[in-house]
Amino acid sequence: MKGKDLINIGIFSAIYFVIVFIVAMLGFIPIFLPLLCVLVPILGGIPFMLFLTRVKKFGMIWIMSVIMGLLMLLTGMSWPPLAVSVVSGLLAELVYRSGNYQSAAKAVLTNGVFSLWVAANYLPLFFAAERYWSTRQSFGQDYIDTVTKLMPTWMCPVMFLAAFVCGILGGLLGRRLMKKHFEKAGIA
Amino acid sequence: MAGLFTADIENRGLVLDPRTKLFIMITLVVFALGGAGSDTAAVRWGTVAVSALPIVLLLTARSYKTAAVSGCLYALVKAAELCLVPHMTGAALSVCGMCCMIVIRLMPGLLMGTYMLSTTTVSEFIAAMHRMHVPQQITIPLSVMFRFFPTVLEGFASINTAMRMRDIRLGGKHAGKLIEYRLVPLMVCSVNIGSELSAAALTRGLGTGVRRTNICRIGLHWQDLSALALPVGLYGAWILGMIGVIG
Repeated sequence: MKGKDLINIGIFSAIYFVIVFIVAMLGFIPIFLPLLCVLVPILGGIPFMLFLTRVKKFGMIWIMSVIMGLLMLLTGMSWPPLAVSVVSGLLAELVYRSGNYQSAAKAVLTNGVFSLWVAANYLPLFFAAERYWSTRQSFGQDYIDTVTKLMPTWMCPVMFLAAFVCGILGGLLGRRLMKKHFEKAGIA
Repeated sequence: MAGLFTADIENRGLVLDPRTKLFIMITLVVFALGGAGSDTAAVRWGTVAVSALPIVLLLTARSYKTAAVSGCLYALVKAAELCLVPHMTGAALSVCGMCCMIVIRLMPGLLMGTYMLSTTTVSEFIAAMHRMHVPQQITIPLSVMFRFFPTVLEGFASINTAMRMRDIRLGGKHAGKLIEYRLVPLMVCSVNIGSELSAAALTRGLGTGVRRTNICRIGLHWQDLSALALPVGLYGAWILGMIGVIG
């Protein structure tokens, strides 16, 4: 991996994180909290597919995934996202590598696997609900009740599945936009 | 205030080690945002003290206005949370709870982030990360990313204005193109900036495989030790609270 690859990781991580941040702000409205799992993989798929055209060496996807986990740690989502992103990033890397870093179908699948870390943000909500809410009492009881009703424990695997499926949708969307815009402009 | 990672070296007041800033940041995330140990009174008050730390640090960095405004805001809202919120119900509680949440939990972290990024140069950041034995594969993307955020946001704001003029906005005539017509130009321009950055980095010897040198003098001094005393004390109180020594 050369300096140029590392700089590319930095640039695309910045774009990706800006999208995550804008979408996460919507999470203050209870109904949007489970939707983060849908919106982040779909919207993030657009820059991520362009990023994948620049990935030619082992480790680039993994590093980006670890950086996302680190940023979640620094923005107060605790450690589960980092733990998941280290594993899912490696898996995504292996998926894309199995297509020799050029298969379009594998790229779409890679976005699905990469997006799994988004769902990990909810883990504390399911497995340590009392602790989670005890630090968020100031949201108000209405918010807590609404979210608890929206998120029974069986939703946990559903969240991961949703992130994966939406990641694939986002990958397809990203591919379409790439064909439409970036290949013409000569940057894909 | 200077932009992110573009610190004004001549005129930035007291200089702290980047690692000190990072440690305070993590402490804020654990206690103010994460609410660790909030069942111990000592930790609760310690959290308030540590939350005030970024305001003091902003003073030492000579951004008096930001420090004064955020200091007053924090004091007001914290007082309101202690005196008014327990007596509220229903919708008023939800709205006020949200405001308290933003100011008391998020704001200290955001202020610390602003302070950290506006008083640290890229060189210092890399030197500190090198001392912590963080591999280059993580530090280079991270430093590019932090330096790149303002560029992305600035570009996004300009594109947003242009698209609103063409009526591509929520509730406008072409709402369906809302996302495509914003993200695509943003990415094209980011990719171009990226290749320029790579060329610039190449001239500075990045990616040659040799050990790079750094002229930044970083290290722990008296100012770091005094800034660290409070967070370390807070961790101490947290542990004492957990094993039940203090209530």
